[in-house]
Amino acid sequence: MTENSALSDVMSRRGFLKWALGFSVVATIAGVVVPVIGYLWPPTRQSAAGGGRVQVGWVKDLPVGQAKVLPVNDKPVIVVNTTAGGVKAFSAICTHLGCVVEWNASKQFIQCPCHDGRFNPTTGAVISGPPPAPLPPVRVAVENDQIFVGGA
Amino acid sequence: MQKTASLFPWGWIDRLIDWIDVRVGIRQIVSYALHVTIPRSAHTFYLGGITLFFFGVQAITGILLALYYHPTPEAAYDSILFIMNEVNFGWLIRSIHAWSANLMIVFCVLHLLRVAIQGAYRPPREMTWLVGIALLLLTLGFGFTGYLLPWDERAFWATTVGTQIAGSVPLIGGYIQDFLRGGPDLSALTLSRFFDVHVLVLPVALVGALLIHILFIHQQGLADPEERE
Repeated sequence: MTENSALSDVMSRRGFLKWALGFSVVATIAGVVVPVIGYLWPPTRQSAAGGGRVQVGWVKDLPVGQAKVLPVNDKPVIVVNTTAGGVKAFSAICTHLGCVVEWNASKQFIQCPCHDGRFNPTTGAVISGPPPAPLPPVRVAVENDQIFVGGA
Repeated sequence: MQKTASLFPWGWIDRLIDWIDVRVGIRQIVSYALHVTIPRSAHTFYLGGITLFFFGVQAITGILLALYYHPTPEAAYDSILFIMNEVNFGWLIRSIHAWSANLMIVFCVLHLLRVAIQGAYRPPREMTWLVGIALLLLTLGFGFTGYLLPWDERAFWATTVGTQIAGSVPLIGGYIQDFLRGGPDLSALTLSRFFDVHVLVLPVALVGALLIHILFIHQQGLADPEERE
């Protein structure tokens, strides 16, 4: 004890252990209570269903025959500047098993990398492969060279 | 009732407990609930207590999950996605529920093995063993019914196969299968049934059996593995 007298002026061993135990108990309780309170708190993020119209880019950045996959309201959307029907947008979630589809620029169709499902970029219809349904269209509008996606 | 050293640094808690104790004898009840005779040679590894802890975790996380879960075919899977992606800490609560479910069954079986290996099921503790078997079956029932609730492909086909196995029982199998499914096929009725059993029937049954299990342990004390007749 005597050799520790300098230390015990700062904090006794018992005092330190009490403090450490108290801290552990408080930290443990906080680690449980904080997630539970957070969970009970109403979710504040705008859900995808309630998302509004979003400007996703400019037509000059998306030449004819090109496409981009973009996150719109937390969901992937593929925006295509088609040769036949202007700018189109579809849900980029493959209707087969939910992979995110890609744009095949050389062959000009929407392609799923998982099982080679292929979709028509103008209508979203299935060209070939396992998808059971066409890609759902997403509302798209071009105003003053700006591309807007989503919304009512 | 002997006076024990106070647990609390504040006198008013002791006075409050005294006030209750005079009226309903709370100290005797708590003392009975806390103290079990444990032989010095007993090696329980606390497996039953760990199982009980996981049940507590399941109860709390399950109550929380039921806040956002919708037990209908149209909305069930979307509500799971909502919990995982939108609700604060939803991924944490659901993951704890899934992990703790598996661990509860693991420790339930380890507890059973410990009791079997030490021969702790022998007289006079046969009834504790039988109630324990009931608790294991109820826990597996939780697993079986809970697995359907996400209503994804894996859940749907696992329950299809699981109920088909019940359907292979001779003579009455077909009736059991229809009873479990609420019809000839898996449908919205099946989901309602499984949800009802998972969150209403099984919790009440398990808590009841658990209280009996623990009451028996308190009445008898733990078995002494070195005691051989």
